[in-house]
Amino acid sequence: MLIGTAIYALINSFILALMAMGFNLTFGISGVANFAYGAFYVMAAYGAWIFTHKAGLPYGVAVMLSIGLTTMGGALMYRFVLMRVRGQTLSEVIATFGMGLAILELFRYMGFVGFEYTLPNLVEGSVFFLGVYVDYQRLLIVAVGALMVVGLWLFTRFTSLGLAFRGIAQDERTALTFGMDPDRIATIAVAFGAGLAAIAAVVIVPLGTISPEEGYDVLIKALAVCIIGGLGSTGGVIAASFLIGFAERFTDAYIGSHWTMIVSLAAILLVLAVKPSGLFGHQKELEERI
Amino acid sequence: MDRVDGVDPVDQRRDDDGHPFLRVEGLGKRFGGIQAVADVSLDLARGELLGIIGPNGSGKTTLVNLISGFVRPSAGEVRFRGRRIDRMPPHRIVRLGIARTFQMVRPFYELPAYKNMIIPLFSPRVRGLVGGKYGDRDAVALDLLEEVGFERDAFVAYKPAGALPQGYLKRLELAKAMALEPELLILDELFSGLSLAEVASIVPIIEKLRQGGMTLIMIEHRLRELFRIADRVVVLNHGRKIADGPPAAVMEMDAVKSAYLGAAAETAETSDPETEAP
Repeated sequence: MLIGTAIYALINSFILALMAMGFNLTFGISGVANFAYGAFYVMAAYGAWIFTHKAGLPYGVAVMLSIGLTTMGGALMYRFVLMRVRGQTLSEVIATFGMGLAILELFRYMGFVGFEYTLPNLVEGSVFFLGVYVDYQRLLIVAVGALMVVGLWLFTRFTSLGLAFRGIAQDERTALTFGMDPDRIATIAVAFGAGLAAIAAVVIVPLGTISPEEGYDVLIKALAVCIIGGLGSTGGVIAASFLIGFAERFTDAYIGSHWTMIVSLAAILLVLAVKPSGLFGHQKELEERI
Repeated sequence: MDRVDGVDPVDQRRDDDGHPFLRVEGLGKRFGGIQAVADVSLDLARGELLGIIGPNGSGKTTLVNLISGFVRPSAGEVRFRGRRIDRMPPHRIVRLGIARTFQMVRPFYELPAYKNMIIPLFSPRVRGLVGGKYGDRDAVALDLLEEVGFERDAFVAYKPAGALPQGYLKRLELAKAMALEPELLILDELFSGLSLAEVASIVPIIEKLRQGGMTLIMIEHRLRELFRIADRVVVLNHGRKIADGPPAAVMEMDAVKSAYLGAAAETAETSDPETEAP
């Protein structure tokens, strides 16, 4: 029981990390809080479904196409909507939230609700491991999650482009001083974030179904992880994913499944009360703001 | 050099035809009720070293922010090689060849000094100059740092920026701006917070840049050191230009003396504060 719970908690943690990483990346590089994030996640899933079932494309092609289009969707949203309200945080939040609502409710209006809306497992089968059955799809989630986390960490620490991104993330004045266009960087950041949401969707959705509600759920989970970990901090996302991931599964196993939702919400309240910048976040010094 | 973002050969020819290298005309900036810069005009020729001095709060940094695009003027215009730049955002102005440093250094303290050079070396300005490739960035970074006095034998460039004394941090700022291969380099209080010995070690670097044909604007409080290297000095007081000329001549002017010396200012109050130097 204990080992089984721990294994599923680990998987749950990777699911959370995958869900939150894109939101965090966008915010970390450009300071845009993309509240349409959940909508991009759902859009990628529906995209893959439509390309396979309506257009008859092979599943692999459909997935790639969907990830590509979602990434482009992020870039377009920045260019045509966000760029015009850039710098006004409240307007950015309202604009992205509005876009998210519109996308999700459009899918509901068009009738994309039901058990048939799901994606097939990318890999079939399961393995008996330390006394529990774990299906390959869940192992794939762990693998993709670990790959993304390690890849992102290596990218931002050891490649020149990653270092440049990190530099820009820390300091917009520096970016401007050296001739970098903040709008272009933000376009890339929002697009990357949407792309990560799409990747998360195609590996996670096969565990359940696609529905507009899923969009809200993903947004809440991404927000919870980012608030607890500290917005913009990659280490924070990982730590918070494991914290919530384990807390949820153990609550489910030992206290009762109806308490699960309370865990992350209580953690948000606690962190906001004790350390509002999150476990790994830090407020910028006054003099650092332009 | 011709291929930098929109600087076509026509522009360059006009520059040679006698367009001033940099021309500031009637430039003004008002922040709420405060007139930070008022009606400032000045010309700068290629290869010149211009010092901008004045008491605290006289508008020196605002003037430089206006030229480099970090602040939008409320009046007047700035032309760089004949082209208006006062409505451009900072990153576009950099690509035309105006680089600057800031008074407050903000390196990435946890990174080695040479890794701090990554950002300027990734700049579209640099990519524009070399056509998309910049070879081995680390090697270029180390060369530039050696040029500003990071002793290669002592491996100073490999130390984290956080472990370096202020003198090296200022030189790192200078190297970052130099990496952009600017045509005009603006240095905002490069000498502030440095010891006499540290300043003495930076002066030869600036002199070497000048020999290479660089045009410079320096905001300075360290007048003695500035006057040794500047061709010309502009004095600001309350946002207005009160003098413009060779260092020795400027310091003899009454308006400048009264701006700098509190006691003398009392007696000179009656004289016209807008007196323009020849």
